[in-house]
Amino acid sequence: MSQTINMNINGQQIGPVEVQDHTMMIEFLHEKLNLTGTKFGCGAGVCHACVVLVDNEDDTTSVERSCISGAGYFDGKKVRTVEGHAKTNEQGEVSELSAVQLAFLEHYSFQCGWCTSGFVNTATALVEKLAKQPINKDQVEKTVEDALQDNICRCTGYVKYYQAVKELILKTPGLTV
Amino acid sequence: MKNIITLFMSLAFLLLSTQPSLAQTTSKDQIEKGKYLAVAGDCIACHTAPEGMPFAGGLPMHTPFGVLYSTNITSDKETGIGEYSYELFRQTMHEGKGRAGHLYPAMPYTSYTLLSEEDTQALYAYFMSLPAVNQSNRDNEIFFPFNLRFGLGFWKALFAKDIEFEKDPSKSVNWNRGNYLVNALGHCGECHTPRNITMELDQKRPMQGNVIAGFEASDITPLRLIAQGWTKPDLASLFKNGYSNKGTVFGEMSMVVYHSLSRLNEADMNAVTSYLLDTDVPVQSKPVIARIPDAKSPGHNTYVNMCSGCHGLEGQGKPNIAPAMQSNATINRPSLYNSVAVLLRGIPSQKYNATTAFYAMDSFEELSDEQIADLINYMRTAWTDEPPNASAAQVFRIREELEGLDLIGVGSGHVEF
Repeated sequence: MSQTINMNINGQQIGPVEVQDHTMMIEFLHEKLNLTGTKFGCGAGVCHACVVLVDNEDDTTSVERSCISGAGYFDGKKVRTVEGHAKTNEQGEVSELSAVQLAFLEHYSFQCGWCTSGFVNTATALVEKLAKQPINKDQVEKTVEDALQDNICRCTGYVKYYQAVKELILKTPGLTV
Repeated sequence: MKNIITLFMSLAFLLLSTQPSLAQTTSKDQIEKGKYLAVAGDCIACHTAPEGMPFAGGLPMHTPFGVLYSTNITSDKETGIGEYSYELFRQTMHEGKGRAGHLYPAMPYTSYTLLSEEDTQALYAYFMSLPAVNQSNRDNEIFFPFNLRFGLGFWKALFAKDIEFEKDPSKSVNWNRGNYLVNALGHCGECHTPRNITMELDQKRPMQGNVIAGFEASDITPLRLIAQGWTKPDLASLFKNGYSNKGTVFGEMSMVVYHSLSRLNEADMNAVTSYLLDTDVPVQSKPVIARIPDAKSPGHNTYVNMCSGCHGLEGQGKPNIAPAMQSNATINRPSLYNSVAVLLRGIPSQKYNATTAFYAMDSFEELSDEQIADLINYMRTAWTDEPPNASAAQVFRIREELEGLDLIGVGSGHVEF
């Protein structure tokens, strides 16, 4: 069986397109849309390498695991993948990385990079939330730990990822009070 | 000759010197026995606070009458039970009357009353051997009039009788041992037997299932278990690993498995499973129910989009991630309480031993009552023998109850933005 779905990915309207029942979102991104930045890690919803962002109507953002969620789950939703964060020029080339992406580069946060798209997405959701609901400076460390706890990294051991997000939050005006 | 005398003397010396240690051995055996019985009775689960010292008490228990805190049962003389004589210990276990007076029946003395004298003595020896932990008991937060302990005396006079365990001569030794483990030590009925309006265990409906704190302690009568296709190895696997081909344990039962059932010895495991299935001979297993799901059913897209990633398009599950839905005992039963509760609450990740673990299940509270009913009916049709008669109204009532208990979404532990 199949489903016919529509969705908005990184600001672009996709569909209507037919997907087979067994098509998980990550397969849809890779095979149908050639968006290969989202990485397939454990395939069981544990490691969060594959997470994408869904912008909900109530102005919240959900972090969703694309390896265990069918493409049909995203029908009618607004999705952002790691390809959607940087600014691009008229030729479609990356002209400016997002603040989270830059922070990870500056801190040498990742080594093999397999988990990075997941970390970028989760950290982006956190930074955007803090822009709407700033926190006290002394809460930053715990907030970062809580927010990134589901993302697994097997190379650098988290310290540089966490430090990058923490520093970004502390130096960006409006995220803390 | 001299050698013979020396030999006799050394023998006599040996005998004399071993006599006191013989007495110690008996007591050591008794303590070891008590330790095993305490495991089978799962004392640690209630008498230990989260991250607290073992048996030092302090676990909050939420009851309809307020919050009770379990007590310190280490050998500390001031705050524990170190000053308890055997008689007082026995009275506490069998009659629910300790130093503080009548005990709330959160302490399952209505089951422990069935304990043999020998076992009660062994338990006493064990608890007295535990290192003393000085930790004062917390005051209960039970509201009037239930905070008046003399009221418990009336309740007990009516409903809690000190009775002896009676063996059923028509059954095997194995079955009777299982009965003792399940009903006396294991106090399974305290959760699995429904209570009537006076909170007394309704012995007319033993083990027929009961909703407690937002999950249903399953109907574990032989009739139901056999209808669901349980065999002795299936049950033993569930009790040993928290997992079997009929699904996983969750909620409070996962702690019972972890602390108690998984540590039963083989003979006792066989006794328990023989008693629960009411037979000493192997039970014929039933084939796994694995029909091709109906793609036109209204629950189809929900299952495919939100469940199949872990539980499989054909309900086959993923080892050590998510259990199979085929013949899953949570769905394959007339009551839909746990199916709904699991979907709305989620389940935290569970690790049973070095090789068996299951990953957390998210809460799917965003699904409407109708979508949940459709989803359950879809799974029932494909993978159980139950009729697809779950209704949105039933789901609504369960959701309402879980909302009242503040349990929606508690299990998933998911980060929200």
